[in-house]
Amino acid sequence: MMKALQNKVTELFENGTITLMIGFRGVLDKFAIPVFITEVSQADQLIWTPACLNNLSVYLHKSEVKQVGKIGIIGNAGTLRSLLQLISENQLKELELTILTINEQNEVIVFASTEELEVYVQANCPAYNPEDQALVDKLNAMTREERWKYWTGQLSACVKCYACRAVCPMCYCSVCTVECNQPQWIKLSSETEGNLEWHIMRAMHLAGRCINCGECGRICPAGIPLQLLTVQMNQEIERAFGGKTGFSAKSGYALNTFKTEDKETFIR
Amino acid sequence: MSQFEPKIVAFVCNWCTYAGADLAGTSRTNYESNVRIIRFPCTGRIDFMLLLKAFQNGADGIIVSGCHPNDCHYTSGNFHARRRWIVFKSLLDFMGFPTERITFSWVSAAEGSKWAELVDDVTDKIRHLGPFEDFNKLDYSLINQLNDEGLTE
Repeated sequence: MMKALQNKVTELFENGTITLMIGFRGVLDKFAIPVFITEVSQADQLIWTPACLNNLSVYLHKSEVKQVGKIGIIGNAGTLRSLLQLISENQLKELELTILTINEQNEVIVFASTEELEVYVQANCPAYNPEDQALVDKLNAMTREERWKYWTGQLSACVKCYACRAVCPMCYCSVCTVECNQPQWIKLSSETEGNLEWHIMRAMHLAGRCINCGECGRICPAGIPLQLLTVQMNQEIERAFGGKTGFSAKSGYALNTFKTEDKETFIR
Repeated sequence: MSQFEPKIVAFVCNWCTYAGADLAGTSRTNYESNVRIIRFPCTGRIDFMLLLKAFQNGADGIIVSGCHPNDCHYTSGNFHARRRWIVFKSLLDFMGFPTERITFSWVSAAEGSKWAELVDDVTDKIRHLGPFEDFNKLDYSLINQLNDEGLTE
């Protein structure tokens, strides 16, 4: 399977389809190491294992990557869904992307069009991780006080390293609210109140855009299950307004549109 | 000790609720003086961060109010705001924040009496809930944990 992938990438380099390939080259501890391949001779470094969980689409926002133009990228389920969401947000317009994946039968797939990608994603990529779902259900069954204790306890460990932001393919604003200091919206120091604020803001800005790849929670050095917040948000949006994110290149954004018949129960 | 008087911050839109509150005033309606009104151009302008900042700065309760659906001065600001509130309230609920301290409402420019009633109701509710201390307690969460486990006694 890895040989097939390396051969495919070699072929793409040789026929000039790509000049940069973003993939993985090895596993360190339990984390796969991303690699940027610019020469055909390096194609034999590429690997594909179950540890290749990183969402590589996050690199497509870097200006030095964007300059290349002809980019090949290999994606797991989360990456493919985030690519669709980014296309729907008009973020990949100027790139000539060649999207690859490896399916359950260990075959290398090169998507010829966005439509093909949509069909594959709808058939093969689940919307939510069952483990996250179980945790969200457990939290929703708790009392309010228990949830407050759970989240303040978890978020008190946050060190505001913003790894959750760096790793998120949907967090691509060139200036983030946390960098605004006139006024200082989010406190700089790491204390629970400000941490809570940052994570509420992050979840709100990702609500209806997050594709639940789970990278934020996986990467968190404090081990906070951050992905649960956006899972809950997406499910609320699905329930209230309908529609799932990351399954179509035209999925839109629930919070920049509205229906006059939107229902709520709490406005008096 | 004097009775607890809640601080209520009201985020209201210029065109409907602010005018409604004005009407309540010019009609000489008596209502609770605990409310501090902040005027916004539209409910669509009321960022969720502002609500958090109000709580951080000592508010015990919040009212967010604007034009009824279909009455927005800017056609659709309140529809956008409604979606944002649905999502925001759900997030706060999920995180265990006491969302009963935030009251969302539609008050038109003609509803001076509804405004007075709303402020009275909210003030009454917050008076029963007591002061908002959840944020202040956070910095002492470790001590609280030790207390819970009976380790400080």
